[in-house]
Amino acid sequence: MSGPINIRDLAVGARVVLGSGAEAEIVSNPNDGVWLFARYLASPRDPALVGQEDMIFAQDVVEVRP
Amino acid sequence: MTTNGPRGYRPGLVDLATGQISREIFVNDDIYAEEQERVFARSWLFVGHESQIPNPGDFFVSRMGEESVILCRDRAGAVHVFLNSCRHRGMKVCRYDDGNTTVFTCPYHGWSYGTDGALVGVPYFREAYHSALDKARWGLVEVAQMCAYKGTVWANWDAAAPPFLEYLGEFRRFLDLILDGWDGREGQAELLGGVQKWLIPCNWKFPAENFSGDSYHNISHRSVDLVGVGPSGKSRRDYGELDVARKLHVAIPDRGHQTITYVLPSGHQPQPAYQNSPEVAEYFRHCEEERRRRPGANSRLIGAPGEIFPNLALLPRQPRTLAVWHPKGAHQTEVWRFFFVDRDAPAAVKNFLRDYYIRYSGPAGMTEQDDMENWNYAHAASRGVIARRYPYTYEMGLGHAVENYEWEGLLLPGRVVDLTAAQASEEPMRNLYRRWAEFMEADSWDELMTWRRNAPREAVAAK
Repeated sequence: MSGPINIRDLAVGARVVLGSGAEAEIVSNPNDGVWLFARYLASPRDPALVGQEDMIFAQDVVEVRP
Repeated sequence: MTTNGPRGYRPGLVDLATGQISREIFVNDDIYAEEQERVFARSWLFVGHESQIPNPGDFFVSRMGEESVILCRDRAGAVHVFLNSCRHRGMKVCRYDDGNTTVFTCPYHGWSYGTDGALVGVPYFREAYHSALDKARWGLVEVAQMCAYKGTVWANWDAAAPPFLEYLGEFRRFLDLILDGWDGREGQAELLGGVQKWLIPCNWKFPAENFSGDSYHNISHRSVDLVGVGPSGKSRRDYGELDVARKLHVAIPDRGHQTITYVLPSGHQPQPAYQNSPEVAEYFRHCEEERRRRPGANSRLIGAPGEIFPNLALLPRQPRTLAVWHPKGAHQTEVWRFFFVDRDAPAAVKNFLRDYYIRYSGPAGMTEQDDMENWNYAHAASRGVIARRYPYTYEMGLGHAVENYEWEGLLLPGRVVDLTAAQASEEPMRNLYRRWAEFMEADSWDELMTWRRNAPREAVAAK
């Protein structure tokens, strides 16, 4: 298991993978180290989320796509 | 109006008939706790200035009594005042003094609020709360009432309180003296620099009564006068105009606001001032001439120390500043001092005034240091069990205030004491503590709005 990701380092446009397996693209970063605003690109468990914008909790981010 | 209050504040602790006030109201922890509820949770309190939050997302963390509050401008441009406390477990959601943000995020469990106060982020909302938490119910707590007046922002936790301008009553013209421009234009004030904040080991009412109009303590500032910290290198201030003015105490009895003010004679011409800088002197000469051309009573008034109940002090002229006496326990006060200039004043004027303001006020200001020393030691020397047995006296000038005071065609509101010959009175302090006792006794704003009850009778009497 990889270590925690410092989401303050993530720029708008970066793609992240969430604990649920969903993938999202960052649309803004308030830089509080706790939240990201992102748009779902894929969501295997709940496909209805794709295209929606949501607040992503830091602990939900498990990977940053290269 | 009766002075017999069922809760013991009148006349036992605040006896206006004899002018005696118990030291207990300054040093008693139980009374302090009670005044948080009865005074600070019901009064209009100064929160900040709109020039501190010009852009969407800007915020300034302020205080209301002991509560931390956030003054902010939301993404749509609306101004709000929120309790700075997460609805989940109470952690401060903002621990900065000021800044710009898109969200206020609680560092404890991560709840997050928009700049409009809405709860927008709840960690594991779907998983742990099963999407069942009603986010609309759990936004930041917002004040019951807020008012922006000529740039200043005021707030009140009590929905039953009267609107701010009604609360201010006829004291409004004295607040205008600091918020309007030096040349009399409306609402020109802009905050100069940051807010000075520091702690004083005394009850908040010591500075509040001092700024209500204590001209009796001028001897404390003798050394400052001798040094000549004023803007012309003499004394503390420029006194040229004041030598020909009437010096007055004005107290608004049903509101608890009071001030010193000077009334200039009709047709008075500006006197030399700000002589340490020819450029600044010329700027103010021009402003004073313009001010005299404007119609309205304020062109003949010169502002001086005053107090808006309960804890906002104004000093409209030299220096031009507001101070908030934030209570932090019965024995400690956190002072926040805001300095003002006209927003379109030349940079040279702003720089000159910055130096003068700092020289005069704030923790490093020579005049304020004199004051703090008095309040510190007076409080400490009043805490002992023996000291508490002996009340302070506020009988100076008792019975000498008049209503409908007029000089050379200028009528002033409230109860007025002419200090031109008398030098000093304690009418403003009695006014402050009368109102304080009324707040401590009254169970609701219905009891406190005496002017609304009196209005029909006054109308009948007038007929």
